[in-house]
Amino acid sequence: METYIQIIANGLMLGALYACIAVGFSLVWGVLNVINMLHGSFIVLGGYLAFFAWAQLGVSPFVMLFVVAAALFLLGFLIQYGAINRVVSKPVLLTLTLTFGLDLILYNFMNVVFEATPRRITLDLGSLGIGEVMLPYDRLLAMLLALAMTGILYWVLRSSRIGRAIVAVRMDRDAAALMGIRVNKVYAITFGISAMMAGACGALMAVVYPITTNTTGLLLGKAFTICVIGGLGSVPGALVGGLALGLIESFAGTWLGAQYAILIGSLLMLTLLMVRPTGLIGKRGYE
Amino acid sequence: MRLKHLLSALALGTLAIAAHAQNTIKIGAPLALTGSLADEAKKQQVAYAMWRDRVNAAGGINVGGTKMKVELVESDYQSNAQRAQQMAEKMISQDKVDFMTSPFGSGHTKVVAGVAERYGVPVVAPSASSESVFDQGYKYLFGTLAPNGGLVQTMTKLFTQQMPNVKTVAILGREDVFPKSMAVSMQEAAKAAGLTIVHDELYPVGNLDFSASMSKIKAAKPDWIYVTGYDKDLILARKQMADLGVTAPIVTMVTGPAYPEFINNLGKLADNVTSVTWWHQATPYTADDVFGSTKAFHDEYLSRAKAEPDYVGASSAAALVALQKAIEKAGTLDKAKVRDALAALDITTFYGPIKFGANGMNAGRELPVIQVQSGKVVLLYPEAIKQAELKSFN
Repeated sequence: METYIQIIANGLMLGALYACIAVGFSLVWGVLNVINMLHGSFIVLGGYLAFFAWAQLGVSPFVMLFVVAAALFLLGFLIQYGAINRVVSKPVLLTLTLTFGLDLILYNFMNVVFEATPRRITLDLGSLGIGEVMLPYDRLLAMLLALAMTGILYWVLRSSRIGRAIVAVRMDRDAAALMGIRVNKVYAITFGISAMMAGACGALMAVVYPITTNTTGLLLGKAFTICVIGGLGSVPGALVGGLALGLIESFAGTWLGAQYAILIGSLLMLTLLMVRPTGLIGKRGYE
Repeated sequence: MRLKHLLSALALGTLAIAAHAQNTIKIGAPLALTGSLADEAKKQQVAYAMWRDRVNAAGGINVGGTKMKVELVESDYQSNAQRAQQMAEKMISQDKVDFMTSPFGSGHTKVVAGVAERYGVPVVAPSASSESVFDQGYKYLFGTLAPNGGLVQTMTKLFTQQMPNVKTVAILGREDVFPKSMAVSMQEAAKAAGLTIVHDELYPVGNLDFSASMSKIKAAKPDWIYVTGYDKDLILARKQMADLGVTAPIVTMVTGPAYPEFINNLGKLADNVTSVTWWHQATPYTADDVFGSTKAFHDEYLSRAKAEPDYVGASSAAALVALQKAIEKAGTLDKAKVRDALAALDITTFYGPIKFGANGMNAGRELPVIQVQSGKVVLLYPEAIKQAELKSFN
């Protein structure tokens, strides 16, 4: 019995990290219809900022998380405002190519400046032991962060002025413009929020994972899989998709072996694309 | 008329370049200066430059009585196997390199060696240790690292002698050329040593989580946990072992502690992890090569790279030392003759003894077994220079 509880706990802990990775990616995809290839690099950049603040200035990553979030918001805002907005209404392939190119720049910039040596914040917080079941505190924090980000995003989109503007732009860009919404600014803010979430996730991940530029592609791939599984256009989609993928990988890894964990996750994604392209709880537009 | 002058000037220029080329020995060095292997390639680059500068400062390599300077033809293949192949083709056919070194790792070495073999260009590989690279029947490929099997056997023998209660082993390996070969070598060594394998699993290259594997290993209660992979994997694996309370009397990570990053990223969690490697600065050799001694190599590397050398740097310099000795012995730049000289080489260098076996791999002797103790790497073996006794992990 305890083995099963541990498998489920492992899956949920991993799933929470996955949800963290995917929330921001889902927002940009859902609202801007942009597949943001920069997302993995944003997470890694967040991780590096947190690492160097900790290693050189002794700043706790849990404080730095907010600074990193603010910095990444600014970076995201500027990238969208200065570059992506120029092509945002063009076909998706064009925006994909642009973000791909921007990612090459950011990725190689990080490679040159930080080098690919793995770096980890060596704060080992230990684990909460309930009987034989172990719950690592840092992953519990990631879970908290994923829930908080999803909750805040849900609230922002439903109840704040900017949130309603984002939803309006998503529903009908032209009508929103006619109503006096500054569409370009809304886009930039949305992209900024997404980058902010990636940065916060990266700062936390630096405690759990060694940060290296090698993982940018992996993280991006995970975000993509999770969004397809969870469904786009729904705030809790990334959370549900992340937790589902975490659980599946945990069970597949235990029963079939680590080699099959990723395979089974990808098979689930393909199956969903065929039978339920909207994902587990996806719907059109952010309502 | 003008055109004619121009043409003759051009022709003269070409001749001058050709004449110049005959005074230097060109060595092609494909390096992954960008991309995922950038760190390793930079270590290679530093070691190559150290060797070149020392050789050229001494007037060059003695080729049958004339001293010839050395030129390294470096090029970045961006950690991409296909590009490595194109670079090797270009170096041989356009840059006209006389000899080559190979990129980091077994996989890319195999690619480059395949190209060089077709043209009959001798390749000295500094960081390929998987037998699957050397069993292709290549005549022009030599490697300064010892085979993986030798590493594992040395370690298994030492551990089972010092901890006779160790009866079971759990193996977790990365599905990738070198780490997989090290996992397979462990299976064989464990069987030979009479150990029972209670868990045996490979994880995929893009793995981001070890909780399922570690939970299973925990349930199997092994005496020895043996994990292979690269830094990022091993750091995460060790971290998740701690998170999930997984432990054993012996924990080995290959090549983990051989790299300074392992300890930097794990702090206290790195303590008492064991490993085995091809070279460690604590193994002292004196030699009549350009470096003279292990210490001289270590000190210059440290001042150039601002980091301690690991086996990658040492083996890279050693590969070129071996090539130099072979050229001097052959007394010519003739590729086939230098190849024969490499095959017959039997020397001691700052890096240790180099004698290539029938398949081209260096026969490893006295490979260092290491353990992290109180945040520092100490030698457990060879017996004559050991710095500490094996400590239990838990």
